[in-house]
Amino acid sequence: MKNPQLRLATALLFPIVVLAANTWMYQQQRQAGETFKFPIEGFDPRDMLSGHYLFYKVDYGISSEYGCPTSDIAASLCLRPEKRVYPTDERPTTCEVYLQGECDANTVFTAGLDRFYIPQAYAAQLESDIAQKKGEIEVSVDKRGNAAILDLLIAGKPWKEAVQD
Amino acid sequence: MTLIEKKLQLWEQQGFITGDQYETILSFEQGEKQNNNWWLYSLLILGSAIIGLGIISLIAANWVQIPDSLKLGADFSLLILLATAIFWYQSHYKKVVADILITAFIILCLASIGLIAQVYHINGRWYHAIMLWSVISLPIVLFARHLMVHFLWVSLFINAAVWSSVDLAGGNLRNAMRELPAVLLLAPLLSASLYLLARRVALLHKTSSSFFFWFQISALIALIAIDIMRSGGETQTFDWHWYLPAWLTAALLIGLIALRRAYKPLNKALLTAAILLLVLYYAPSILFTGQTRYTFSALDAVARASLWSADDIRAPALTILILFLYAIHAGNSGYHRTFNLITFLIGLRFVILYFQAMGGLAATGVGLILSGLMIIGIAWFWYSSRDRFQNWSKELSL
Repeated sequence: MKNPQLRLATALLFPIVVLAANTWMYQQQRQAGETFKFPIEGFDPRDMLSGHYLFYKVDYGISSEYGCPTSDIAASLCLRPEKRVYPTDERPTTCEVYLQGECDANTVFTAGLDRFYIPQAYAAQLESDIAQKKGEIEVSVDKRGNAAILDLLIAGKPWKEAVQD
Repeated sequence: MTLIEKKLQLWEQQGFITGDQYETILSFEQGEKQNNNWWLYSLLILGSAIIGLGIISLIAANWVQIPDSLKLGADFSLLILLATAIFWYQSHYKKVVADILITAFIILCLASIGLIAQVYHINGRWYHAIMLWSVISLPIVLFARHLMVHFLWVSLFINAAVWSSVDLAGGNLRNAMRELPAVLLLAPLLSASLYLLARRVALLHKTSSSFFFWFQISALIALIAIDIMRSGGETQTFDWHWYLPAWLTAALLIGLIALRRAYKPLNKALLTAAILLLVLYYAPSILFTGQTRYTFSALDAVARASLWSADDIRAPALTILILFLYAIHAGNSGYHRTFNLITFLIGLRFVILYFQAMGGLAATGVGLILSGLMIIGIAWFWYSSRDRFQNWSKELSL
């Protein structure tokens, strides 16, 4: 590109286009997937709040015999027909819906869904509700195993409604 | 009357310069002073941008009533508005304003990444977000003329690149403190490699001074940190995967130094030796046991450590050797300030070594007198011999 004005315009548009594409991709992930709900709880009730977000543990409902091995591996959690963790490269083709994630050495499966951004004003109330095991996250899972958080539910209601009650 | 005006008047009175030269120098210095306002403008815009970032963050986090689409829409509108303003000012040769707007634009790009993460509840690491920002903002940063913009970009990029590399090699950072030594080793090696690359590529030339700045700072931190760890007998968790990026970068750096025509063979040998010694310093089991300490060996009559096998003697010896190699390179290349700083640090390390080895002596009156004499002696030796040492290093050649 020899034209300096064209180079400048490209340099200015490049970040905007990348950020817009990123936003579109996340929006698609939200809309295109199938919706699932998972209960959540705190690692430690005193340490759930970190800045502007809640940090919690997702209960995927995996039975111990179908859980993670004791090693750090990339893993897939098959959600249907049978809830079971597989190493990513060993996931059977019969698995209809799955969640991409990883296992750690403590046999815990994580899929990057353990953070929810909240306004500071409602932090203490939401923290207390989750400590009482009233919390769930609503997640959209697409065909490639990517998951996007849709909402935080408190006693089955969207958190925005729950804090008004 | 400013200091420069007083000096110029004195020089004119003494006949060193003519009246015309007085006027020329004075007008040049006043012009320089106006250019120095750049820093003021840059700091003002940086401060304003950070306040803006805080406001965006507060709104994003607290204003529940605003729908996500509106928040994102307002953010993208602001980005487009700023981009249009930069394009207009750059085209109309108002470079100062354009540079200020570029700073605001790249900071807004970073804020946008944060906003997207917040709206979609993305669970990512801070260094991944900054790496994305570094990639998307580099093209526009290269249009900026002022070093402040490049410095801002380099400062964030080097941090993100170092942490991301160690994370990638180690397979997800779990406890940042365990991997910290690998990060400390990689930082100066990567900064130096990018400095040499930036010197070779004309497009990246403006970023080179910022990379060099971070090389010097991070190298000093890396050396001090590992000296404290080895001298103090700190136990270190070592996983070779974490150090892989540092070793590969060290190989790249040695290659770049070997290819650099501006360096004499002596400088190439000195720098290569210093890099290899630093890498060796961070390997826990080659030169160090982690248990043998000369300082405490007097307390244990059975397992007395010899002077040369003790970690707390080897560590300062290695520190001083690395500093010495770099001091000869700096002296030989004519970097006076760096040379003075490095030789001062060598002297300082000798003083600390003295207190490490003879710490008990400082508790007595005679010991304190001896310690004071030792410090004065080292300071005098450094002051009187640094010029001779620098001249000697300049005369060296291979």
